[in-house]
Amino acid sequence: MDAPTHAAGNVITAEDEAQVDSLKTRVAEHGRLRSILESFAYIRPFGGMFGKIVPFYAESYWYALGGLTFLMFLFLTASGVILSLLGPFWWLTNPVGEFLKSFHYWSAQGFFFFALLHLFRVWATGSFRGRRIFNWWIGIAIFALGMGENLFGLLARGDWESQFVSMHSDNMLFIQPFFFNLFGPANFTADLAIHIAVLPVVIFALILAHIVLVRQFGMSKPLSSTTEKSHG
Amino acid sequence: MTDSQSNPLAPTPNPVKTDAPPERLVRHVFWKYPIISVVLMALVAVLAATIGSPNYPKDTIAGVTKDNPGGAVMAFTQELDGTATSSGNAQEFGTGDPGQVFVLNPVRAAVPLLGPITLANFPTLQVSDVQQAVTAYDSASSDQRMTWASTYDTALGTIPAGGGAAAGAGEMGAGSVGPDFAKVGSLKGDFGPVPVLVEADVQLAQTGYLEQNLQSVDPGHSYHLVNIWLYDHPNMLATAVDQGLTDDQWGMVKERGFSVGPWYLTIPSVFHVYFPGGATGQGFVLWNLGFTLILLFVIPLVPGVRNLPRILKLYRFIYRYPTPGELDKPAFKERYGGTHGHRDVGGAD
Repeated sequence: MDAPTHAAGNVITAEDEAQVDSLKTRVAEHGRLRSILESFAYIRPFGGMFGKIVPFYAESYWYALGGLTFLMFLFLTASGVILSLLGPFWWLTNPVGEFLKSFHYWSAQGFFFFALLHLFRVWATGSFRGRRIFNWWIGIAIFALGMGENLFGLLARGDWESQFVSMHSDNMLFIQPFFFNLFGPANFTADLAIHIAVLPVVIFALILAHIVLVRQFGMSKPLSSTTEKSHG
Repeated sequence: MTDSQSNPLAPTPNPVKTDAPPERLVRHVFWKYPIISVVLMALVAVLAATIGSPNYPKDTIAGVTKDNPGGAVMAFTQELDGTATSSGNAQEFGTGDPGQVFVLNPVRAAVPLLGPITLANFPTLQVSDVQQAVTAYDSASSDQRMTWASTYDTALGTIPAGGGAAAGAGEMGAGSVGPDFAKVGSLKGDFGPVPVLVEADVQLAQTGYLEQNLQSVDPGHSYHLVNIWLYDHPNMLATAVDQGLTDDQWGMVKERGFSVGPWYLTIPSVFHVYFPGGATGQGFVLWNLGFTLILLFVIPLVPGVRNLPRILKLYRFIYRYPTPGELDKPAFKERYGGTHGHRDVGGAD
């Protein structure tokens, strides 16, 4: 990415950055509350992690929803690794296990909540136009696989609902044996393996591709009442 | 925090004639993310600690058989006469004949361990009685076996528990609990060795032996056979009906004993409940596939449809617009100059 420049085209130096990043300047620019909250982001060496050049219009929480969906994915991964290490007896009977299972459950709720809002934001701002349609497709694929994770997570939970839905979905959706009868919804072992070792890997790979394309394509131009129809 | 959006239509010192937001580049410091991450982690933890998650204790074969032995009698009988849910799905389950898997094989395996079987309302059985029943069943023709089991199944249907219909486990919405166990021992007819086999299996189920046996004979498929048998027993479906969890009761978005379900499955549930053929597996998949294709191709590609975001102007609630005078602050000009030109850059999306 190009370094930010002054209007005259001169590259902003480290000294310039230090001056405009000073608390006094930031208070004048953003107000006192934000300046205090964001102070940690200017502490070296972390400043490089947080600084980013974006269009003004994208400095909105709506543009953070994809990141928050990924955050929920990270919560799910972290809690899921611990849950899978300690097993269903632990997460169904131990108070800490039950808490972590609940953390996993609510993270999943958050994943779908933020993903749907993100989907709406991308649609409402026309960010699927042009070559960005590839990322739209990847996003839809991630969401669809997330639904699959939901099903297999439910089947692998190990409670009454798992028992009932395994047989119910088996009755409705899975009318042929898969992979030499290795897979069936009533097979807890296969459900758990798919939930923790197959779908998450695919989803993670697609999320990485999604992020790479976001960086490659950049922010889409904003829509406006004067946007040419060719953009729509 | 000055991240708030102003109304783009509000009067400003220099009113613009378009709702296009400024494209001027700013240094967006991702200071929000760590803070939001911490806040969300705390929120999720609070929800997990206070509300928890669905965890209704699972059924066990011993539990449901003690709770409803009449239902177990019906399940074993229907597995023998081929009318159980597992019988209709044996090919997809890859289990083989449910009559052998759930009824005969466990009894054969248990014979060396069996003592006298004394179930209430049933005659006391000795091990030799059970051995003779197995031998008689094995030596009979398949037609004879079917006749014995079907006759017994029909007889069970005449003594429904609570006076209701003793419908099969697979009958959606029936919510039945099977025959009246207290009357099972008094049934008369040419049932062959079936009542003895069933009585022995009920005993094995109530002691927990059957569940262990089904786990051990299918070690790579934990709970597989156990779940299949539990679905043959009428309790599971009856409970689902009582809890409103079946297809026509919007069960897809519900949890037993927990108020927060998978709300994000609402659209598939609509397909499942209301759309023609949506209640079948094939129809359900096709409707969802059609919806996905609309998302993939119609919304972003079809002229007119893809212009909806520009026409609806919902982006006005999304873009950040400057507060009056914000862009004229000295710090802005010092940092970025006065240009407004667009530059295609990466960032949070």
